[in-house]
Amino acid sequence: MKRTLTVCPYCGTGCSFYLVSDGGRLVGVEPSTTHPVSRGGLCVKGWNAFAFVHHSDRLTTPLIRRNGTLTPASWDEAIGLVVDRLRSIQQRHGYDSVMFSSSAKATNEENYLLMKLARAVFATNNIDHCARLCHSSTVFGLAETFGSGAMTNSISCFDQTDLILVIGSNTTEQHPLIGTRILNAAQRGAKLIVADNRRIRLARHADLHLRHKNGSDVALINGMMHVIITEGLMDRLFIEQRTENYAALAANVADWTPERAAALTGLEADEIVAAARMFAAAGRAMIVYSMGITQHSHGVDNVRCCAALSLLTGNLGRPGTGVNPLRGQNNVQGGCDMGALPDVYSGYQKVADPLQRQKFARAWGVSTLPERAGLPLTHAMDAAASGLLRGMFIMGENPLLSDPDQAHARHALENLELLVVQDIFLSETAAMADVVLPAACYAEKEGTFTNTERRIQRVRKALDPPGEALADWEIICALAERAGYGGMRYSGPSQVMDEIASLTPIYGGIAYDRLDRHGLQWPCPGKSHSGTPILHMESFTRGLGRFSPASYRPPAEAVDDEYPFVLTTGRTYFHWHTGTMTRRTHLLDREERTAFVEIHPDDAGRLDVRDRDELLVASRRGEIRVAARLTAMVVPGVVFIPFHFAEGAANALTNNVLDPESAIPEFKVCAVRIRRVV
Amino acid sequence: MKVLYPEHIPAFFTALASRFELRLPVMLSDGTRTIGSLEDGPIALMGGAVPGKPTAAFFPQQGPVFTAVEGAVLPSSDQANRLFVAGFTGRDIDCLRFIDRFFADGWRDDIYFRQRAGAVIAGVSGYCGPGGALLPLIGGGCDLEFVCDGKCWLVLTYSQAGEGIAAELPDTDAEEVLHQIRIESLTAANEGDELIQRASQLLRANRVPDSFWSEIGDRCISCTGCNLACPTCTCFGVQDWRYANNIERSRMWDSCQLDGFMREASGHNPLGSEALRTRRRIHHKLAADPERWGEISCFLCGRCDVVCPTGIGILAVAMEMVDRFEQETIR
Repeated sequence: MKRTLTVCPYCGTGCSFYLVSDGGRLVGVEPSTTHPVSRGGLCVKGWNAFAFVHHSDRLTTPLIRRNGTLTPASWDEAIGLVVDRLRSIQQRHGYDSVMFSSSAKATNEENYLLMKLARAVFATNNIDHCARLCHSSTVFGLAETFGSGAMTNSISCFDQTDLILVIGSNTTEQHPLIGTRILNAAQRGAKLIVADNRRIRLARHADLHLRHKNGSDVALINGMMHVIITEGLMDRLFIEQRTENYAALAANVADWTPERAAALTGLEADEIVAAARMFAAAGRAMIVYSMGITQHSHGVDNVRCCAALSLLTGNLGRPGTGVNPLRGQNNVQGGCDMGALPDVYSGYQKVADPLQRQKFARAWGVSTLPERAGLPLTHAMDAAASGLLRGMFIMGENPLLSDPDQAHARHALENLELLVVQDIFLSETAAMADVVLPAACYAEKEGTFTNTERRIQRVRKALDPPGEALADWEIICALAERAGYGGMRYSGPSQVMDEIASLTPIYGGIAYDRLDRHGLQWPCPGKSHSGTPILHMESFTRGLGRFSPASYRPPAEAVDDEYPFVLTTGRTYFHWHTGTMTRRTHLLDREERTAFVEIHPDDAGRLDVRDRDELLVASRRGEIRVAARLTAMVVPGVVFIPFHFAEGAANALTNNVLDPESAIPEFKVCAVRIRRVV
Repeated sequence: MKVLYPEHIPAFFTALASRFELRLPVMLSDGTRTIGSLEDGPIALMGGAVPGKPTAAFFPQQGPVFTAVEGAVLPSSDQANRLFVAGFTGRDIDCLRFIDRFFADGWRDDIYFRQRAGAVIAGVSGYCGPGGALLPLIGGGCDLEFVCDGKCWLVLTYSQAGEGIAAELPDTDAEEVLHQIRIESLTAANEGDELIQRASQLLRANRVPDSFWSEIGDRCISCTGCNLACPTCTCFGVQDWRYANNIERSRMWDSCQLDGFMREASGHNPLGSEALRTRRRIHHKLAADPERWGEISCFLCGRCDVVCPTGIGILAVAMEMVDRFEQETIR
């Protein structure tokens, strides 16, 4: 028996547990009882996080497509082929004809190394990862308003707050241990406002449940801010001392009367007034949001409104307050921090800045680094579809299921001259690849993940990877070596972190020997710095907090006679994203075995649909067959489909329309029609 | 009576490691206690019940059932060495006795007994609870018992195996201290028991309305921690993994808090809501098991109350039940 302390590989909460292994096999998990986030508990995915690791579907050897079939190959051949073909494409079509897709599932060190590989070895800023699909609007919106695109406060703040506004987050299902903090806060008497038209569990505990129309968040929050200003409930001192551009905000919301907001949101004007008064009256109020805010064609505007509401009421820089975007993946915060983004190096240092380019070039031992920002992932798929992008290297992501408009994604991937996928299972995307590289999973390697509250934590190796699989960082280093670059020789991930710390001020104080128990929260600029649980306490990262007024824009696709239902997509409690791990975990798979659509009983009645009937759901982009789930969780006129299931892929339907500033797709709203399959 | 001095603890257990596969309370690197091996961390007998169930030594969260290779079925292998498992509190010993009965009844669970049979069980008691609080004396049901008198560990033996293990330890004359602990234990032993009995009576008299279970169910996120930490929860699921040359069947702890646990092949679920499932969890321990086994199957080990992130472990729910529904009847 052996116990290995590590971090959960699922959501961004960052719970900690011990992997229990016996004779090289995992036999269970035991929660850490001292961990400040999980405090001895776990959610159902955490309790089962060991259970996919030995699955017989694990990739154990490199695969190369020969005569149309993926066949086993040696590492030497596979690595050589990847490097040669990427180089060949770049020689014929330019450096920016290839794209690197990093992974929010991989460690900080691996994200940093893939970023370095793309920039220093392959001379392109075409590097991005799935943060593009989840919180790119947060990174943009909060950087603009506060100077830092991360969760402002800590998870412990839920124990100190007087009010929580949960908007667009099904927290008990998607960040369950944070959800329980909110449940506990409500239990002890903190006010709870839930703004989400799905009747999520938190709504059952809410003082106010606002079931506003999908995509009407700007109208709702502008309406709330109108009430707060009109009734003089704002924090004048905070506005005066800590913010700028207030006049523009006040002017923008001046005509957002509750009645106007009510008309657009579908709420009663009284509900908006009540929410505004309740929020403004709280001594300490937290905003919690997630994909319901970000995944819109106006995602950045939604984020701006959340930021403005907190600025207006002085709810920043103190315990129990803040704008708290809950990061989805275990290491999506870290993926961003590490510069797996097309426009920044690690620590959000801009590639457009010549001094930064010079700093990184010197450290990496290269003469120049590319200066033009690379392609966001979503634009890269468009570029692949149109033939501008020729090669793609994907580490630990499954865009065929996770990207919007599956037909478009499939066409884009098929159109590539070279598709390389590095993963732990043969995902739907990997099955399309020319080369597949087998990777170690989280239990089989060392590294760090950064959770949603910016806590950098150690991930530890409990056992060896299966077959010939290697850790992602080892594969990346092998690629660099084969490409003739000698600057990626490391004794292990700890040494990579030392390099990260030397180049990244917010990680400047991070070293493995400092992370042993419960990690450190960035910014942590020096080796004696104890980390930063709450951002913007004395001043904002950008100096003054900026009000960024937002105008209402409706979702890109409206319902009509032909497509009369709003489709919104998301996850279920039991599965993770494209299901590669959770659908191979017995108990989790048993809970949700098949694709389904949540439909209100009134709508079902009109369509003569009964529970578990097979339905054909179609949008302008595709159609899928899924089982009906009749539930009052959704409002009439809106249906919900989780995107886990390849055989009923929600993203066959979604709309590949992007927020103009963050390039995030509008996963949360598109129009569909439904009929029963007879 | 034998005694184990704190400074001799590492050597004493290290010596046992040549004869047994050891499972002891140890302190892991982040301060979490568990029942692990000497390699996991320093021995930590102090601190009370460990958070994980000690019966995991005999039935891990996931473990092999058999391997099928070319038509032959190979059972899971026996434990190489006899197990020595220490760290059971008195309440844990009650739990162990209960699941021993359960797994032996009717269809005997041979996989469980392959680990359990011959295992040496050591209890802990005395002033070794959290902050030095008293854990009631056990007095049997195990092979030996380590009783903390505040300074050292008095060693009481109840079987030949226990006597053999303690034989080399020095003798002590601590009858007076032991007597004092025994007296204190009589009071401490009943804490909570009366409450759980009263909760059981309320349930069996059908005096807890469905609305109560809806409230409790609304606070349940189906993490399954209550079941996975409970030493008397015995339900498990089974899975088969097909590899290139063999098929592995394994089983894992299951949870009645999951929808799929009771879902029928038709898709219908007689326990299709959190309210019904939460009710079942508590009802099973406090009302159904007394009918079948003649005793309540919650021995108040406290683990579900510790592991539950929303405060609806069995003791918390029993307290709420008693508070609300006994009073209501009196009124």
